[in-house]
Amino acid sequence: MKTIAAITKDPLLTNIIDRFFKDSYNVVNFSKIQSSLDYIYGSIPDIMIIDIVMGDSMTVNVLNEIKGDPIFGHLPVLAVVDDDFTVSDWDSLFIDDYVRRSSLEMELPVKVGLCVHRAERIVEVNPLTRLPGNIAINMQIQKRLDAGTVFALAYADLDYFKPYNDRYGFSRGDEVLKMLGRLILNTVKSKQPSGSFIGHIGGDDFIFITDPENMEETAAAIIDNFTKIMLTFYDHEDRIKGCIESVDREGNKRTFPLIGISIGIVHNKFKKFSHYGEMAGAASEMKKYAKISGGHCLKVDKRHLEPEITQKA
Amino acid sequence: MDIQALRSQIEKIDTLPTIPGVLRKLLVVIENPKASLNEVGGFIANDPVLTSRVLKIVNSPIYGFPGRISSVSQALILLGLNVVKGMLLGVSVFEAMQKTMLGLWEHSLGCAITARIIAQKKGLTEPEEVSVAALLHDIGKVVLGLKFPEEYKKIMAEAEDKGIFILEAEKKHFTISHAEAGAWIAQKWNFPRNLVEVIEYHHKPHLSNGVPVQTAIVHLSDIIIRAKGFGFAGDDFVPAVNSVAWQTLGLSEADLKEVLSELEDSLSGAEDFFLSEA
Repeated sequence: MKTIAAITKDPLLTNIIDRFFKDSYNVVNFSKIQSSLDYIYGSIPDIMIIDIVMGDSMTVNVLNEIKGDPIFGHLPVLAVVDDDFTVSDWDSLFIDDYVRRSSLEMELPVKVGLCVHRAERIVEVNPLTRLPGNIAINMQIQKRLDAGTVFALAYADLDYFKPYNDRYGFSRGDEVLKMLGRLILNTVKSKQPSGSFIGHIGGDDFIFITDPENMEETAAAIIDNFTKIMLTFYDHEDRIKGCIESVDREGNKRTFPLIGISIGIVHNKFKKFSHYGEMAGAASEMKKYAKISGGHCLKVDKRHLEPEITQKA
Repeated sequence: MDIQALRSQIEKIDTLPTIPGVLRKLLVVIENPKASLNEVGGFIANDPVLTSRVLKIVNSPIYGFPGRISSVSQALILLGLNVVKGMLLGVSVFEAMQKTMLGLWEHSLGCAITARIIAQKKGLTEPEEVSVAALLHDIGKVVLGLKFPEEYKKIMAEAEDKGIFILEAEKKHFTISHAEAGAWIAQKWNFPRNLVEVIEYHHKPHLSNGVPVQTAIVHLSDIIIRAKGFGFAGDDFVPAVNSVAWQTLGLSEADLKEVLSELEDSLSGAEDFFLSEA
């Protein structure tokens, strides 16, 4: 059950909140924001309803401090305000929505529902590609594992990305990552429009999820599409040469191959995973194995197939 | 009108209309839920305006790699089917000069097909880039015809009366030609530098520094397709081949024969693309 933290001195408001939500939410009441802090810092509620009375700057200051902390920035705060409430500067009041006192009866249940839903809809994204980031990725994997869904998980990263960055600079490197994010997203969605998932772990590391029967074809299409498009991200002379000159980690001048992509694939058809970290780790292992085999490459973990199939493979 | 004012007028253009025949076919493509990325891409790659729209979107700063993509198939992979279908929904058509435009559309497609054949013959790594450049080489004529329809009619009439090339009549009237107009809009829309260069120099291929071979291919294709009488570029006669471009390509007579015979086969399929009912 989702939790509402209700902060008000007004018994009428406490009553209304109780009446509307006691059956569908776990409602925790506080008369002052200061006394709610211990609770909120220990277990983030799904929404905070807070009574804002004109002239009570203390409440607003504490609220702004809570919302200013990145960990609590996502906590949806619904303010109950006077009918003549206005704001000139939204930087001085960190709330997510408001209800005027005279329309509480009609609006409060709708606003609470919307605030909670909106907070769930906004997943954290990688700022570069706008793809879901690590928390969302872990949740997506764990959700499937908990539900016992059979699925395939792929881990992709680039080979020789660092020399490209060194040769052309970070902003050109970012262009490649943005292109790769779009490319993986659209290739996965075109092979499997629903039930698939694409996330950006960070840097040149991406993951994607499809049904096991679609995965190898999807990964092969990504490699194929990437190889074609990547060429146009090189300057003409490097494209012709088919390699670039840059410096290695020791600072020595060296020739590097063009960027490739390695993809490791695992699925839970035969091997059971219980934790997202375990499965992501296994996919990352397969990706390292693909890298060793020389880039532009995908490797599927077949170690856990039944013995006779393994022998045929 | 002074050249800066002309340029800023042209740069204000957000989208270009296509011709009615294409619109009819386009609706069929949009409404087919099973249309694959390849089918939609193949359709778009036949039309200079649809191609320019896709390239404009994929090269916009929103996606984060402006000026990098010059092929329709790559653009579609990066934009995704939904974005492309949404873009197609907003396409409008020319209301004036339909006949002239139909001829120009055929000329552009014919030029693209020719350029692809020559690019393959020359072993270029990205023949699609060259065929896109050929498809868009006369986009400046669409731009001028759309922005200044009355003036452009006069230009065409003058070219015919005096027996001069459209290119010359354009220069007399605007001080620039469709080649510059096309390059301006291509630059404004963040098209890759190579593509802008081919558009700008397709009548002066000896000035192309960055991509002399691509420019020479488009220059020659423009002339070959005019000589074959496929489509209508606006002129009643065929201009001469630039000698520098001809040397750059170094095609033998046998090569040229092969190009022409391959072209014969490819054009018969393209002939009715704009005319036939969907």
